[in-house]
Amino acid sequence: MPAFYAFTLASQSLRKDKWINLLSMLTIFAGLFILSIIFFIFYNIEAATRNLPEKFSMVVYLEDNFPRERLDQVISSIRARKAVSSVKFVSREDAFKELRSTLKNSQYVLEGLEENPLPDSLIVKLKNTAMGAESVRQLAEEVSRTSGISEVDYGEKFLATLHNVKAGMKITGIILTVVLCTGIVFVCYSTVKILFFRRNEEIETFKLLGATKGFIRAPFIIEGAAIGAAGGLAGLAAVFLLYHVIVVRLAVSAPIFNTLLFPSGAFMLLPLIGMFLGISGAAIALGRLRY
Amino acid sequence: MINFHGVAKEYENQTAVRDITFSIEKGEMVFLTGPSGSGKTTLLRLIYLAERPDSGSIAIAGQDVSELKESGIPLVRRHIGVVFQDFRLLDNRNVFENIALALRIRGAAEREIKSRVFDALKTVNLRHKADSWPRKLSGGEQQRIVIARAMVSDPTVLLADEPTGNLDPDTAESVVRTFKDIHAKGTTIVIATHNRDLYRNSGKRVLRLEAGMLISQEVC
Repeated sequence: MPAFYAFTLASQSLRKDKWINLLSMLTIFAGLFILSIIFFIFYNIEAATRNLPEKFSMVVYLEDNFPRERLDQVISSIRARKAVSSVKFVSREDAFKELRSTLKNSQYVLEGLEENPLPDSLIVKLKNTAMGAESVRQLAEEVSRTSGISEVDYGEKFLATLHNVKAGMKITGIILTVVLCTGIVFVCYSTVKILFFRRNEEIETFKLLGATKGFIRAPFIIEGAAIGAAGGLAGLAAVFLLYHVIVVRLAVSAPIFNTLLFPSGAFMLLPLIGMFLGISGAAIALGRLRY
Repeated sequence: MINFHGVAKEYENQTAVRDITFSIEKGEMVFLTGPSGSGKTTLLRLIYLAERPDSGSIAIAGQDVSELKESGIPLVRRHIGVVFQDFRLLDNRNVFENIALALRIRGAAEREIKSRVFDALKTVNLRHKADSWPRKLSGGEQQRIVIARAMVSDPTVLLADEPTGNLDPDTAESVVRTFKDIHAKGTTIVIATHNRDLYRNSGKRVLRLEAGMLISQEVC
């Protein structure tokens, strides 16, 4: 029965010190809500840029006198590399046809050309996982060293920028998450400490009547969990409200909002995250208190 | 049941008790007496481990508790019922809940708690006050509620610190009768008091303290 009684004591305390608890709950809610918005923004940026590398390809230009009999060997050697997803040969004739169709409304650009100026080339598609700027640069260097290849073209700057933006986002996300989570834990820590001091006399009586540390601690842990979970639930409600009321309505007038993704499964974890942070704060407070 | 051997305790260089040696047998009822500040309360606090001796040893039920680890203290306290001088009733709980607390701490089942709390209240003639709030009770009633809380878990040892301190003679007599009834069931009882009427002609052993020293032990 002590477990059940611990819940009774916790619920009594939640009601008795409702204003302190409510304030803490609101603070946790605010923290988790901000964290959710940051996650929502980062998640959408990540989703929007996730498929960019797949669309990205490296163009390998072959020398004018490249012997066709070596073509299969070069394609196989490039395809054998870990970062490469596929290799496609584009003959100079096909390239010129494509150029013509691209410039169908500006044919005058091609007037005066006596012969096809385009070389044979290989379109190398890269794997999503191998999209670091450095790894692509390395691959380009290796490929360019192959005999018969005149030039390797890849969006070096674009890749480097994308890579840096993503890395920056990751670091910012981690820092913000750590700061906000630490803040939430500290709020729970302070709340439990205040509640503990307010109930000092009661706790002293519990001890004198033979209560173990576990018996004394359990209601505070439950309280920390409840405050954290309530803050998380409020955060969850606010995030859903924000998305379904504001974002969905905005999408009517600004269709770009339609492209936003809402990771509802991840947001469902908010009460659990709140509970975990609440328990952590309470446990740290109880660990530091002398009683 | 309780053995003190050369026990001493100081508070900020002030001697509270020194070189205390005595034994209390199982089922015995003993009075601790002496003027204010003689060390009665300290002696009781040493028994229920609210204080640790600076020197000497204390054994309860054959177990040396002087060096007992902190985690072991609650288990010893569960065999000791204490009637505190300042009552220590919790104002945010009614009488029933105050008494039930001693059983809840011990992990008793709800049904058992109900029957034992009402039995204890019956013993102190306050069954009708189960739903009352401690603040609404008279000093005598509060005192009896504390006794009910101390005895509800059937402790091996019952300690009472000035249990009649603020009571009129009639109420004090009824409180003493309650202690005698509890003692008759075989509970070891130690009562700290400076009220001579409580132990005069009781036929019980009286330990007399003065300036922190045990100066006599005699049957009155």
